[in-house]
Amino acid sequence: MSALIAYYPGKTFIHNLDPRAKIIFMVIVSTAIFMVQKIYIAAIVLAFMILLWFLSRLPLKVLWGFMKVLLPIIGFLFLVQAIFYPGTTPLIKPLIPLGRGYGQITLDGILFAVLLALRLMAMIIMLPLVSFTTPVQNFALGMVKMGLPYKLAYTMTTALNLVPILQAETGVIVDAQRLRAMQSFEKGKLAEKLKAYPALVTPLVIGSMRRAQLMAVAMDSRAFGASKSRTYLEDIRLRGRDWVFIVLSVFFAVGMVLASSLA
Amino acid sequence: MLKSLKRSPAINTPAVELKDVSYRYPRTKRWVVTHLNLRIQQGEFVAIMGENGAGKSTLCQMMNGIIPNSIGGRLAGQVLIHGLDTKATGITELATKVGIVLEDPETQLFTTSIRSEVAFGPENLCLPVEEIKERVRWALDVVRLTGYEERMPTSLSGGQKQRLAIAANIAMRPDILVLDEATSQLDPVGVEEVLSVVRELNQKYGMTILMATDASEMIAKLMDRVVVLDQGQLVCDGAPRQIFADTNLFKRLMIRAPQVSQLAAQLKEEHIELPVFPITVEDANQGIQEILRETKSTPLPVEDKRPLGKQPPAIQVQSLNYIYQPFDVHAVKNVSFEISKGEFVALIGQNGSGKTTVLKNLLGLLKPTSGKVLVSERDTNTTPVAEMARHVGFVLQNPDQQLFAETVEEEVAYGPKNLGLGKSDVNARVERALKLVSLEEKRAEFPPALSKGERAKVVIASALALDPEIIVLDEPTTGQDYKGCHQIMQIAQSLHAEGRTVVFVTHHMALVAEYAKRVIVLSGGEVLLDDATDNVFSKPDVVRKAYIIPPQITVLGQALPASLGLPRTPLTVLTMKQAILQHFDHKGKPS
Repeated sequence: MSALIAYYPGKTFIHNLDPRAKIIFMVIVSTAIFMVQKIYIAAIVLAFMILLWFLSRLPLKVLWGFMKVLLPIIGFLFLVQAIFYPGTTPLIKPLIPLGRGYGQITLDGILFAVLLALRLMAMIIMLPLVSFTTPVQNFALGMVKMGLPYKLAYTMTTALNLVPILQAETGVIVDAQRLRAMQSFEKGKLAEKLKAYPALVTPLVIGSMRRAQLMAVAMDSRAFGASKSRTYLEDIRLRGRDWVFIVLSVFFAVGMVLASSLA
Repeated sequence: MLKSLKRSPAINTPAVELKDVSYRYPRTKRWVVTHLNLRIQQGEFVAIMGENGAGKSTLCQMMNGIIPNSIGGRLAGQVLIHGLDTKATGITELATKVGIVLEDPETQLFTTSIRSEVAFGPENLCLPVEEIKERVRWALDVVRLTGYEERMPTSLSGGQKQRLAIAANIAMRPDILVLDEATSQLDPVGVEEVLSVVRELNQKYGMTILMATDASEMIAKLMDRVVVLDQGQLVCDGAPRQIFADTNLFKRLMIRAPQVSQLAAQLKEEHIELPVFPITVEDANQGIQEILRETKSTPLPVEDKRPLGKQPPAIQVQSLNYIYQPFDVHAVKNVSFEISKGEFVALIGQNGSGKTTVLKNLLGLLKPTSGKVLVSERDTNTTPVAEMARHVGFVLQNPDQQLFAETVEEEVAYGPKNLGLGKSDVNARVERALKLVSLEEKRAEFPPALSKGERAKVVIASALALDPEIIVLDEPTTGQDYKGCHQIMQIAQSLHAEGRTVVFVTHHMALVAEYAKRVIVLSGGEVLLDDATDNVFSKPDVVRKAYIIPPQITVLGQALPASLGLPRTPLTVLTMKQAILQHFDHKGKPS
């Protein structure tokens, strides 16, 4: 899987939007998705998210990478719904008859699982869609303008910045263990894999502590947090198109909820 | 307030003054720096040398008050920056007086564009936007990154990243710039890039530069003054020529002197003295010509260095291609080579030339995009890594990512245990591996608490405990001091002497020249050269294409007139010394 927090430079209209507009879009639309009850609407929302992905010219391979990570979760959803959804249209005889429609694979159960999967995918795409098109310092600035203290906003974004670094580091440590003839990561059973993980902790924690300490030195040396406020080289401004985008986001969110509850 | 305080020091106040400074880190008892006294005038260009653990980083971080203001601990005595006591001065004010560049670029770059990275400091100073813009423009111009404003810091090379870190600091207009091992992870050309920028800051802008480094050849060329630390104490302070001539000091402290100085020191032991003690190739060239003018040239016997009889292959790489996803980065292009059993091979090239990618393919940590890799007759594409690890001991770059256990002993036992060996077998292997790296006495210690050199050795021992016939070392010497480098390479040499195949990657060309028998040069993911070590270094212009600079002693050999009959491509100081001694033997008596 590729990193969740990264910036893919570009000049598309999504890149150019004010980070606040994007944060608002993310919050409103993901809340609305929760309320969608119809498969076709969830499918439209997902299609729309993929369209936005295309419009931002983000690499398709990265999108596929995210989907691959989601697949096992979706598979699990299907399994759970198949067993526990109290459906009335059985397709296959109950594997484990639990009574009252439980434990059998029903059409309703499958449809509900499809709905959940579509919602989940639509929501998950939104995060990289926003984070990949927004430089991290603008993200922080957006949060500052929305009222967060700048130290907090920067600390949050710096922490997010560490995610890809930690991911890469975990990969190296796993490699180091495989090089010492540790087989669990390749063909071990789940239980063995779980047993191998604690050994990752020592180098990861010590490495992170060292890194954090050095980063603090570097940030202090550049007067970070020296005064309560600071200036910004690139100011962000909510322009007409940002307001249009926010209004459209609201319409989109309300629309999907209404359409879903009609008839 | 800020403005009025700036640049108003009295004329005679030194830029930096340490008065009887001692320091210990929080929660520790040991004083890492003791009774240090030091005065540095504005505009000086000073190198700080010393072994790892001598207190260089501590000294660097004292300059801008990070020690003790941010880190804590106990600082006795006074650190004065333009007469201001760092303990009593705020970080904002110190940040505008002292900039600091660290070793690892990753820990000091926070944003996603070069412009915003440079603006970060001035923004924190609450400067007006117009002023910030002007400073960003100026700083990027000085470090020669103009035109890169919108690029991401992660897309830069190592040398460019460190130049960016310099820009980010000088944008705050400090009078003093501190570089803490800022070049030790760079390839030779990256080191040159950074130093030329630093030199310009010193000469054109009169900035005081303090640089912790062991790049002694550069020190000799560029700097005014060298300060040598040993166990937290200042043991020597003077001009480079004076310092490097003190050969006893360098022997005792195991600090790297320029190779030409090492040569002069060794000749002196044989009672041959050069007219001026050399610290640069030019000095040595002149001096050697002078003392040899009177002697007759003696052609050197040509050594036959070809290996006797062909050994079966240990590693076969056939048309290897590797493409990183998702960005389609073609890191290795059609690389083919074969390494026979018992060879000692260095793989060199610029950062990003594909060295590590090739190595990872040797073990199946990466699988070839196309092509074939056979190691110990196993196809790495189909053999599990854990199986390959029995045959190839691969030591990754950073030891800290490879230490998992509570004690050194357990660490080394981790591999053999994974092989499913019995207790007595595991113990026997641990004993042997610890002995090979001379760490028997540290067996009960917590690996991360050991010194940098020892941590590297633990990782090597851990790989050796699997008893592999091939050893692969990826930059084992990066971040190690002179002593650490040689200890590690001597371990590699003894493994080679046992008949094992050794492949290593390093940026230290003096080590390549001294230890490797064969060199493969990678450039842009392709094999540029693959030949015996002296043949590779005898083509400086080709090697330069791969951004590699031959060791100083080799450069000297090439600079000296051919008529002297000295070796054209000497790989070690010893070779050169012996060749010069021959001249004198011919005359009968040393001068």
